[in-house]
Amino acid sequence: MNRIQRGRGGWVAEMGGFTRAAGIALVVIGLAIGGCSSKQKNAGEGTGNNPNQLGEGGLGGTGGNSLKGYQNGTMGQNGPLGDIHFGYNDATIRPEDNDVLKANADYLTSHAGARVQIEGHCDDRGSEEYNIALGARRAQAAKDYLATLGISGDRMSTISYGKELPLCTEETDDCWAQNRRDHFALSQ
Amino acid sequence: MGVMKKIVALVALALLTIPAAGFAQEALPPLTISAAPRAQPIAVSALKNLGGDDDHTVSETFGKVLKRDLTLSSFFRILDPASYIEDPQNSGYDIGQFNFGDWSSLGADYLVKGSVTRDGDTIKLEALLFDVPQQRRVMGKKFTGNPHDVGEMARRFADSILQAATGTRGPFDTKLAFVSTRGGRFKEVYTSWLDGGGLFRVTDNPTINLFPDFDRDASHLLYLSYKTFNAELYLVNLERQLETRINPGLGQAVGGALTPDRQIVAAYERGGRTNLYLLTPEGSMVRELTDSGPINVSPSVCPAGGQFVFTSDRSGTPQIYAASLDGGGGKRVTFKGSYNTAPAFSPDCKQIAYESREPGGFQIYVINLDGSGARQLTQSGSNEAPAWSPDGRYIAFSSNRGGGSRIYLMRARDGYVIAPLTEGHGNESNPAWSWWMGG
Repeated sequence: MNRIQRGRGGWVAEMGGFTRAAGIALVVIGLAIGGCSSKQKNAGEGTGNNPNQLGEGGLGGTGGNSLKGYQNGTMGQNGPLGDIHFGYNDATIRPEDNDVLKANADYLTSHAGARVQIEGHCDDRGSEEYNIALGARRAQAAKDYLATLGISGDRMSTISYGKELPLCTEETDDCWAQNRRDHFALSQ
Repeated sequence: MGVMKKIVALVALALLTIPAAGFAQEALPPLTISAAPRAQPIAVSALKNLGGDDDHTVSETFGKVLKRDLTLSSFFRILDPASYIEDPQNSGYDIGQFNFGDWSSLGADYLVKGSVTRDGDTIKLEALLFDVPQQRRVMGKKFTGNPHDVGEMARRFADSILQAATGTRGPFDTKLAFVSTRGGRFKEVYTSWLDGGGLFRVTDNPTINLFPDFDRDASHLLYLSYKTFNAELYLVNLERQLETRINPGLGQAVGGALTPDRQIVAAYERGGRTNLYLLTPEGSMVRELTDSGPINVSPSVCPAGGQFVFTSDRSGTPQIYAASLDGGGGKRVTFKGSYNTAPAFSPDCKQIAYESREPGGFQIYVINLDGSGARQLTQSGSNEAPAWSPDGRYIAFSSNRGGGSRIYLMRARDGYVIAPLTEGHGNESNPAWSWWMGG
């Protein structure tokens, strides 16, 4: 159990010292209403799902953690590992993403010190809480797949951000499809 | 737990702010609240100053909060004070000491009068409710407190007015917790009185904070945060200003709810499967509550204890289920619709409010616990995350009907949307409604 006490200047850790958060006033993100669910027949399986399109978009970037990327404005920039995408309210690896996963596995095989955190993300049409669980299934599906390609489980971790970190906020099939993704964040 | 892990947690916990010091002039957010159809006209007179409130600060604060709450109830509309004939400082405030004709001529069904004495930081306030057509004193309350308490005196008196006029205590001596991006672009947890007074920022970390829930006396708040870059639940003691990181070792936290006695019904994901567990307030496992289906999330606990409702996709689509906190299975409640989630148990635990996915967004429904009597409450926009008032007459929810997402108040019986409860600074979501603060 971790406990803190709050003093005059803010919440104070028992071990001494406290931090007041710096004011962070930036762009207001559009709040998405809706989910990763399944009545949109034409969503997810159609266009706009090229798994490499983000990485080929000239963005470069580090391919790091998406929440850190959201903090510093680099979210969506892929590194050596490509994203994969999913159907609406679905966590099944699609055949067209096999090559991306194999390439990701090859990279991890040839970089023995690299670890990866697989992030599951959803479009904004499901409820927030359900989408966190759905994103976790998506991350786990990729982890299981990479394990079959020989990547050791102790080099992989998973996290779900549900619909909290969308790459785009338009209410279109293409945007929803981009957001239903696994992102592979390299660490070390 | 390792020392490093502990330090990381403590540093993250330090990113919480203190509230702005409040005093007698309690700030209410400016909200546009229209009187409901067929609302009863009520006059709220200034309090007679019996000494110490020469600047009328106490009277104005009491009146401002009382008028806000009575209007939000949808039972009353406030008669314009500019039309009042009587000077409350030059007339009595109890029966026989003023002229009912001054109020019946305005068309008032009810009248609130009272008095205040202020001696330093001690406020003595008496408030009285009169039935104007019957020229009768309905009830009166005496309050003693300090200047911080004047708003709460008004909230308690509003609850008493609803008790007297409708037979059921009002829901205004309560708090709302919600998530807002008003401080920037990150989702942070806030609390306020239901009427918007006493805004308090609970979290201040530039990550993601979600799903606040109060315990019975609203001394504690549970929420989910990514502030350590893992998804974890935290239980904040709001009174003692302490926070516990819930760490049962069950995987990634997905959300949770508090039981009346502050146990935690928590969703954790491991290996792609999300299940619900009952935990102690310190985060130790009491028992598994679900073990089927890939996803079990969104718990809501009966305020009387014993049962909870949740969302599971064990049937293939997200649907609402009810189960016992003693463990064992779960009975499916919803069958219509292919995406039903975010259930909320009514205070009497006989009904469940939930959101159902429809073309264009979510709509809020109420259904009986036995699966009968489903009725749609919202129609416009996308409406999510219903939360019941403790008296069962109202539901707070988030909606994008006005553009960005805000928290709104509606009547549970007919879905009449009374007013927004928040200003819409940034996007607001995830409302939780406390039990009565005064017990």
